[in-house]
Amino acid sequence: MLLSIEPDGPVPIYQQIRDRIVEAIAGGELPAGSHLPATRQLAVDLGINFHTVNKAYDLLRHEGLLRIGRKSGAVVARDAASGPPRPGWEQDWAGRLRTLLAEAAAQGLPADDVLRHCQAALAGFAFPVAPVAPAEGGAAAGARS
Amino acid sequence: MTPGVLAGYVAVPVFGALMFAAPAITRPTLQFGVRIPPAQARAAVIRRERRAYYWRSAAVAVCGAAAAIIFWGAGSRWLPRAILLLEIAADAGCIWLARRKVIAAKTAEGWFAGVRPTVVADTSWRTQPQPFPVRWLIPAISVIAATIIIGAIRYPHLPAHLAIGLATLRARRVPRSPVSAFALVIAQLFVTGMWTGLLVLIYRSRPDIDPADPAATLRGYRRLLDSFTKAALTLVALVDLTFGLAACQVWQLYHLHGTSAALPLLPAAAGVLILIAVAMRAGRNRIRPASGQRPGPAVAAGPDDDRFWKAGLIYVNRADPAIVVPVRIGVGWTLNLGNPAAWLIIGVVIATVAGLAVIRIAAGM
Repeated sequence: MLLSIEPDGPVPIYQQIRDRIVEAIAGGELPAGSHLPATRQLAVDLGINFHTVNKAYDLLRHEGLLRIGRKSGAVVARDAASGPPRPGWEQDWAGRLRTLLAEAAAQGLPADDVLRHCQAALAGFAFPVAPVAPAEGGAAAGARS
Repeated sequence: MTPGVLAGYVAVPVFGALMFAAPAITRPTLQFGVRIPPAQARAAVIRRERRAYYWRSAAVAVCGAAAAIIFWGAGSRWLPRAILLLEIAADAGCIWLARRKVIAAKTAEGWFAGVRPTVVADTSWRTQPQPFPVRWLIPAISVIAATIIIGAIRYPHLPAHLAIGLATLRARRVPRSPVSAFALVIAQLFVTGMWTGLLVLIYRSRPDIDPADPAATLRGYRRLLDSFTKAALTLVALVDLTFGLAACQVWQLYHLHGTSAALPLLPAAAGVLILIAVAMRAGRNRIRPASGQRPGPAVAAGPDDDRFWKAGLIYVNRADPAIVVPVRIGVGWTLNLGNPAAWLIIGVVIATVAGLAVIRIAAGM
């Protein structure tokens, strides 16, 4: 997996590392059981402090996506094929999604474009994309939020 | 002329040629040690400075070679070293001139404006590491083992005083002792151990990945690392062979006179030429995919980290945990002098050399 970060970008580096790993898991590039480099090794490869990588791994561990063992190192704990998420996770995620969609709405992006972006992103992930009608999708998003 | 002086004179044109060829095996996004975005790799100032560098370094190489030929007959061992030092200084000057112009253009024209500095790592580099070619150590170990066996057989039959020296015409006579008799075996062990240790360190170091084309540059780097390590281990085996042949002369298995005294140096010289040829070829192949393509829009480039590279050659970055990093000019690796572990490595090498020197003095050598 090629992990790219922007050291001078607006997003904190640990968050970028976390995001790239989540995307790789969703895209099937890092299936459950995949090993990740040790924090010090990844820190050397990215030229950053190992505490930053540690923070990203810790975040992924809290989210249930990573398992960290003394002997096994950092291993991907789950992927799309591992079954439904833990109870309560969907509500948290829907809250974050609402904020993200609100940003698009506030910037004046039409709902069709928002859905087009969503479908394009979902097409790159490992689970099948169910066809969504634009009007119903908008209503569903509104109802969920 | 001793073989050592001869090797000194030969090094002058070889170094001149290497410095002349250095830009041809350097990544297009690292011109004269200056980080530039991919879109600027063919900027007018780059083309102009590369041409100027070729002319200047060619002139330096020709002058160095001419000096080596003129002073060929002089027996002083310091003369070839002085010529080589002057050549190194002149080549550093050529790089400095080109570098200054590139930095000026980069700053004035704001080459990094609108470019997202990106760092790319390949997680498989660590989770599925490239295996170290351990089998290529077998020749070096075999040579050392053969030398030890021959030495052990010859030792009881050696005279009270030994003529020691590495293929020198005027060998010094020292009292026989295990240290004096096996000094060249110790040298074999030191060279093999130090080189292998450094190569393992290089193998575990950060790969050279260009964010503009990460997959292709990583493939090129893997090939370069593999062929360079195999060539370096071949060099180690050939240097060990040179020491072994010299040891056999100390143990009075044969004796060479006149110019033929330089013959034991031939394996080491062949090893150096092999390493240079392999490094040049691998370095050229590494940048071929990038140079064969038209430069795209400046969407991704490495971070503008020139400030950590002193004169484009010495890396000092306290915030970078890496100990060994790829060099910016030509092919090779260097230490991050901002990392205390790098100073520890330098200290260990110096302490080992000093320890060997103390043993030599204690043995009356």
